[in-house]
Amino acid sequence: MRKKRQISVWLHSLPAMVLIGGIIVFPIIYTAYISLTNMNLFHWDNYEMIGMDNYVRALFKVDTGFLTAILTTLLWTALNMAFQVVIAFFIALGLNAPGLRLKNVYKTLLMFPWAMPAYVSILLWKVGIYNTEFGLANKVLSALGFEKINYLSRNVPAFLSCMVLNLWMALPFMIMMFDGALQSIDKSYYESAKMDGAGFWMQVFHITVPSVKPIMAPSVIMTTFTTFKQFDIIYLLTQQKGALTGATLQTIITYAHQNAFVSNNYGLSSAVSMIIFVLIVVISLFLNRGLKENDDV
Amino acid sequence: MKRKIYGTLCGLLAVGMVAGCGSQGVASNAANGGNVQNAAGGENASDTAQNAAEEGQGADSAEPETVTVWHDGDESIMQVIADEVNKELEAENVTVAFEKKTGLTDQLQLYGNDAENGPDMYFYAHDSLGMFAEMGILAPITDFISAEDEKDLLPMTIEAGTYQDTQYLLPVYYETLLFIYNQDLWEGEVPGTTDELYAYMEEHTDTAAGTYAVVNQHSTAYNVAPFINGYGAYIIDENANPGLDTEEMIEAVTYNKQFATLMGEGDYDTCNTLFNEQKAAAIIGGPWLVSGIKEAGINYGIKSLSEFTLPNGSPLAPYSGVQGIGVLKHAEENKKDAVASVLKALCKENVGVSLAKESSCAPANAKSYEDADVAANEMIMAMRATAETAQPMPNLPQMSVMWGPAESLLAAVNKSGEDVKTAAETYQQAAVQAVGDMQ
Repeated sequence: MRKKRQISVWLHSLPAMVLIGGIIVFPIIYTAYISLTNMNLFHWDNYEMIGMDNYVRALFKVDTGFLTAILTTLLWTALNMAFQVVIAFFIALGLNAPGLRLKNVYKTLLMFPWAMPAYVSILLWKVGIYNTEFGLANKVLSALGFEKINYLSRNVPAFLSCMVLNLWMALPFMIMMFDGALQSIDKSYYESAKMDGAGFWMQVFHITVPSVKPIMAPSVIMTTFTTFKQFDIIYLLTQQKGALTGATLQTIITYAHQNAFVSNNYGLSSAVSMIIFVLIVVISLFLNRGLKENDDV
Repeated sequence: MKRKIYGTLCGLLAVGMVAGCGSQGVASNAANGGNVQNAAGGENASDTAQNAAEEGQGADSAEPETVTVWHDGDESIMQVIADEVNKELEAENVTVAFEKKTGLTDQLQLYGNDAENGPDMYFYAHDSLGMFAEMGILAPITDFISAEDEKDLLPMTIEAGTYQDTQYLLPVYYETLLFIYNQDLWEGEVPGTTDELYAYMEEHTDTAAGTYAVVNQHSTAYNVAPFINGYGAYIIDENANPGLDTEEMIEAVTYNKQFATLMGEGDYDTCNTLFNEQKAAAIIGGPWLVSGIKEAGINYGIKSLSEFTLPNGSPLAPYSGVQGIGVLKHAEENKKDAVASVLKALCKENVGVSLAKESSCAPANAKSYEDADVAANEMIMAMRATAETAQPMPNLPQMSVMWGPAESLLAAVNKSGEDVKTAAETYQQAAVQAVGDMQ
């Protein structure tokens, strides 16, 4: 009877497993296979196994661009996450301040950048804010009597411009998460703390932060991955085909796109994809372990 | 009851999963995932064409044949071509049916060798030709038509359709850059040399106020090609060697840089907006800009870039993009005669005349320009004049990885203020590596 039941469970799961196998597992295995071949435009039908050559090329190329891209990606992720968490936390605190009027209106307005399609937001910022002729940032500078600035033509200003846009697009989600977390904290903690003479910062550090930490951890991890593999903002702001701005910023995803995917070298592109895949899995395991330890504490 | 519902759902799921392996007609459309729309009459035009051919069967003893052409272009243009060709081939019982496929390159990579689900021919720009030829999916055009059939085609367009001495593409029309100016803003005659043009720009540009004499996408390789080619430089040569650090290239990029300083940001949208809002008196751009310019109500004039002379005495020599039709290898075995008829019909001057009149395209057939209405079209005649100096974009597959380094070089020099020679060396290395990465 038990065995029959077990078979029934497997049979019921089979369609879903076949679907997941076909859509998720098979492409990964096939990409891994292609990464071991010399499949490219010049070996379209007659490709053959070449072992780990593509991995060696991807990892140990004389070009130092890959390492620079990794460092830029880490810096990009760390700065964005730090700003996002801190700014979102304080905005959410503000939205939960007792006696604040029209808070639902503010919350709705704050959701607006998140609700907009990313492609539209990025191009709007590119033309509406950063453009030297029509951008708001330059209009303000001109009105104040300063010279126009091309925000996207050099690496440092371009990095900061991309970061500002990323914050604008990503903050609503983080604010919403913090807002929910803050509302779940029992108000009696604060009342007790006040009676014990705790000030605003004491309450924040000893009640608010520890209370929201476990609730926020999954959101922060999720956003860290999104930020780590961010492609749209940097690509569309600085590298769009026919509209290069002069900045040479590269994250690992834009680097992989530029160096592997435009070359029609499917072997090399697959090797780069597999390296990124492994990198993300390792970071995911690392973060999950951190989260688990946090939960145990 | 639950068991029945589960069973039904599982069955439906299984049927759905294998539905893609169904009958050919349905499968070809479903599997291709493209926007199957036919220039000859909308979504079901392929069927309509088939029906039309079948109807003709009674009247003519010849077996009706439909030649399917995939394209990724303007459907109204394909409609004009389909109408002309189908009219021409009515007696032969051959019908051409155009199907729009978004992302045609990817689609041909998947279905180029697939006689069941792929097309018989494709209609696309010539710069992807090398890639398709290297993939081994194309049949030479010369297997179907003779040099006599092509005698009226402009040599530049035939050169564009030729890869490694074999012609794979029959040119139909082409595009190239033009000098378009606002007749109400431009003062005096448009100069004949680039030095005079620069002097005019210096006098009539106020970057702080945002008003410009001429705007161009000064860091886009296609738009700087008139200078690059004019100086005898090249982005990539016929042996796939990048040429970003040659003396001629450095000279061309340096010369272009002085113009860039007087042209603002130089991206596509900014240039168009500046011209259409009458903040720029002239723009260097393609015929695709004209409809927007007309809508903006600008009283425009057009001059061929070939009519500007560089300091070295050579005329500006823009790239040309030739739109043409190629034959998939399997069609040579299955539909050789029908394909040959379609190609011969496309060589006729009436196709070019209709394209010029109805879609303002510059025909590849030189005879089409003898038509009075075509000869009266200022834009088309400017493109005809430019065809004398224009160079077809390289059609080597390696060119696809050259746009990045070439434009990075231009952006580094024009936008980031880097030294031309240093930037040229940096991006030459990047280009060599990119070409190497293709292998």
